[in-house]
Amino acid sequence: MRAISHTSENHALEARLGLRLAGGLTARAECLPHDVTERLRFAREQALARAREARLASPDGAAVVGMSGAGGLLLGSLSPWLQRAASVLPLLVLLGGLMLIEQWSTRERVLAAAEIDTLLLVDALPPTAYSDPGFAEFLRSEPQP
Amino acid sequence: MRPPTALASDKELSDFLKSVEKRAFKRTVYAVRSDDSALDIVQDAMIRLAEKYADRPAAELPLIFQRILSNATMDWFRREKVRNALMTNLSEFESSEPDGDFDLLEMLQAVEGSLGTESAADAVSRAQILHLIDEQVAELPARQREAFLLRYWEEFDVAETAAVMGCSQGSVKTHCSRAVHALSKSLRAKGIGP
Repeated sequence: MRAISHTSENHALEARLGLRLAGGLTARAECLPHDVTERLRFAREQALARAREARLASPDGAAVVGMSGAGGLLLGSLSPWLQRAASVLPLLVLLGGLMLIEQWSTRERVLAAAEIDTLLLVDALPPTAYSDPGFAEFLRSEPQP
Repeated sequence: MRPPTALASDKELSDFLKSVEKRAFKRTVYAVRSDDSALDIVQDAMIRLAEKYADRPAAELPLIFQRILSNATMDWFRREKVRNALMTNLSEFESSEPDGDFDLLEMLQAVEGSLGTESAADAVSRAQILHLIDEQVAELPARQREAFLLRYWEEFDVAETAAVMGCSQGSVKTHCSRAVHALSKSLRAKGIGP
């Protein structure tokens, strides 16, 4: 009984001394040279960048990203096929917008030309216009009713 | 509150690596005796952890990382073709027996007395003692040192230490006991303690 107690005490003593000596190692490790701590920081940042890449590359990555935002719950609950389709949506919206802008721009050009033509037609014809060969040709080429 | 099985976030992974990197570096320097090689090995271990295990629960990271670090260190030895030297080191510690006449309590009191002081003169003495402890840990046989560092520095329990080292719990206890006795003996030989 006494021998068991002695062994137990000895183990406890070993553990206390071990922890105290390891505490000394911690104090030493806190004084590492600057270049070493910088290389460790660089290694850590490299590892974190790889972790991000790995998460994005994994099949669950899109769902995880979707879950991170406030509105991401909806995206995260969609099937993978719908999530891929949803990722094309911004491109479709962009193309639709470009087409609308093109159509609006053409319409504006046509309206501007029509306005100029109208102004010309309702304006009084100056007498010098009849001496212009181009206008004379225009009058000759005008279809007869 | 996060459930214990929640996956490690970027911040948790970053905090974990930050908390463990210096000890990992020192542990590797003890094994390979080269700062540059140790930094390469630690970086390799960090990247392996990040690429393959970043999606594991944060609570599992310490054990996984220590296993990866041990494997990365072994890979380094293989690459350096010093396996024979390593095997010599591995066989060293099997023969040593703890010194039964040693008074661990006296050594504990001496170390606690020396490291707990705060005056300027004592600070120099304290730095010298820390340096000596560092040196003597480096001199331990490889397996004893690994068991000692995992058990008392990383504060793993016996089962976790055995899992990292790939040995039985009984072996861990033996390695730890021998390491503490060996350190105590060598520190006394250097003039520390009664």
